[in-house]
Amino acid sequence: MITHELIERIEGEAVLDFRTDKSGTVQEADIRFVHFRGMEAILEGRNALDALVIAPRVCGICGHSHLIAAVRMIENVYIDAGFSLSISPKAHAIREITLECELIQNHIKWLYLVMLHESGKLLGEEANVSLKALYVTSQINQLSALFSGQWPHSSYAIPGGVTCDPTHIEVMQALKILSEVEQFVAKEVLGCPLEKFELHLKSDSHRALEGDFSKLLHQFEKLNLLNTGKSHGRFLVLADNGGSLDNGERSVADVALVSEDSSHTFAHGGKTHAKNALYRGAFYEGGPLARALISERQGISSLYQKYGDCAMTRLSARIDEMVTLIVHVRSLLTSLDLSQPSFTPPSSILSISGSGVGIVEAPRGSLIHRAKIEKGKIVEYSIITPTQWNLGNGTASNLGVAQKAMIGAESIAKASLIFRTFDVCSVCTTH
Amino acid sequence: MPSKPAKVIWLQGITCNGNTHSFLNDPSLGALLESIEFIHHPILPCKKTLKELVKKLPKSDILIFEGAYRADFERAGVKMETLLVTLASKTKHIIALGSCASFGGIFKEASPEHISGILFDKESESGPLQTLRKKVITLSGCPIHPKWLSFVLDMIVQGKKITLDEYRRPKELYGYLVHNGCLRNEYFEWKVDSDHFGTKEGCLYYAQGCQGPFTHGSCNKILWNEVSSKTRAGTPCVGCTEPSYPRTELFSTKTYMSIPAEMPLGIPKRSYLALAGAAKSFHIKRLEGKLIDDNA
Ligand code: SF4
Ligand code: SF4
Repeated sequence: MITHELIERIEGEAVLDFRTDKSGTVQEADIRFVHFRGMEAILEGRNALDALVIAPRVCGICGHSHLIAAVRMIENVYIDAGFSLSISPKAHAIREITLECELIQNHIKWLYLVMLHESGKLLGEEANVSLKALYVTSQINQLSALFSGQWPHSSYAIPGGVTCDPTHIEVMQALKILSEVEQFVAKEVLGCPLEKFELHLKSDSHRALEGDFSKLLHQFEKLNLLNTGKSHGRFLVLADNGGSLDNGERSVADVALVSEDSSHTFAHGGKTHAKNALYRGAFYEGGPLARALISERQGISSLYQKYGDCAMTRLSARIDEMVTLIVHVRSLLTSLDLSQPSFTPPSSILSISGSGVGIVEAPRGSLIHRAKIEKGKIVEYSIITPTQWNLGNGTASNLGVAQKAMIGAESIAKASLIFRTFDVCSVCTTH
Repeated sequence: MPSKPAKVIWLQGITCNGNTHSFLNDPSLGALLESIEFIHHPILPCKKTLKELVKKLPKSDILIFEGAYRADFERAGVKMETLLVTLASKTKHIIALGSCASFGGIFKEASPEHISGILFDKESESGPLQTLRKKVITLSGCPIHPKWLSFVLDMIVQGKKITLDEYRRPKELYGYLVHNGCLRNEYFEWKVDSDHFGTKEGCLYYAQGCQGPFTHGSCNKILWNEVSSKTRAGTPCVGCTEPSYPRTELFSTKTYMSIPAEMPLGIPKRSYLALAGAAKSFHIKRLEGKLIDDNA
């Protein structure tokens, strides 16, 4: 039987086309994204710096990642054009702080607004607005805004640094907010102090904790889903200290091995707007699980060894990443040297011609902005978004990451929930 | 306060979800949710999913529309020309939320002939809801400030009179310019420009492209995320509440004989020149140095 299922509450919508057998078990799942906005074309022809305003509008929940990808791309064009560029450690750290804040708020929203809600619904529970989660995410966004001016859609990172010039007052405010966030995460999300969480993952005792995350795991257990959702076991992190992992085999990541495949899109007679993003011609998983395994975070690595890339490992990786990031933001804030310059003026953009790539680890995986610039004008722009990695559409012999994870699910509803463990974002996917 | 919560439908056109996420930042969302009830919302728990909503398009008290309009853009398989227009005819108040819904915004750029706001298409009032214009309130901004939306929802629920400007934006929010309340006002006044980005000192109007003096909005009165704004963080205002948004060359000021080409709203160029000449002739040490100086 074929069923078309509209998936909502994912930053836009997607359609899943399921083929099920008599018992309702999922045999095939095609993922379709039906909206397209043409962001790349909007960018072309503009001054390169305008990308710092336009690019964040690819996505309302991860716009900041797009800002940082755009600014890194432009900075790499400067370098490509033979210009030197200096960015102070302070400016670097501030960009890191606001970027990580965006990931943290994303992961909390995903847990409370998407996962607990949807798994609860499958178990017949009534959904309420999680005001406590919204309050804490508004606080994290406030922390970010102390530096970036606003969240969403700031344009405060520019080639050469950042536009803001914070004082100790902003830093102290930020640390206070962070303490509140830490308390919330310890008490409400984890049910244990932040520094204990990794040990719990390592000793496999995280399910016995009493926090909203273990509540989610219990719901998955009741639904018989904890151990499902396995995919290829291939992982990719392109930014920072990136790497790839193919069933245990580790290599250094190389953006030159990335390709896009649009053979199945509307433009070529297919049924979706989303292009597949491939690495070495194959589907690789990006996002928190990939980042945890590539950077060898102990808790998640040990879960992965025991259980593989199942739903439980994937869910835990996102929560563990949030914990790691909170700790990291604190260390960045406490070591900021405010006497350094926020911004070191580079040569005028109008004198710059060249090409560049900007890569960022966004909430859902590696985000790539590439462009060609002539005398400061964008002549070509191309974006690969994180969800394109995980939500690609393959063929029966070469399945996409989430596609593979859904096959064998006992019902369409359960497959849809597995789909959401990848933290789906439709607006990004079809930018 | 009315006893029954107002029924609200939040519908999305061509959008980035920025207004949705901005709205979630309102720390007093809980209180607001006591006076309104979402029949449909793209992210918050609500009575009807999109699939259920489109089966029988219900009546509502307030329709919030986020994103740009294109007649053949679909949600849950239903075209906007049906979905938006029917829901709009069955509601009492319509809010065009964000600059895309207000004027076409960024996404209009992809296909200017086919994409517009719901009432306005840039400056011209030629959108699909022309015949329902009286119901429409424009809340432009990219994205909208969460409090601008919650204030207006409160005012509607409590039956307050909302005074509107020529684009049907509430004057209580858009009567101000972004320039009002900016911490750099004194630098503007004495024509001291910011040498470059990344400093607390100087005004961004002369070289960095700030559009604050001719952009309507309360960004520097009702701060963003309760604490800041673009200009407070040293970023030029990009003019996101105006129908002309997005302009080009957003990080540099177009000048004409080294005077900004676009004057502060309502100021004749001649008067500006006279005043600027006088202001520049004073060299005010306090404004030329650092605000916070170790050696002072
Ligand atoms: S107005 Fe801005 S924030 Fe709102 S949908 Fe459009 S691009 Fe996104
Ligand atoms: S920076 Fe912009 S908003 Fe602030 S005073 Fe100068 S012109 Fe006005």
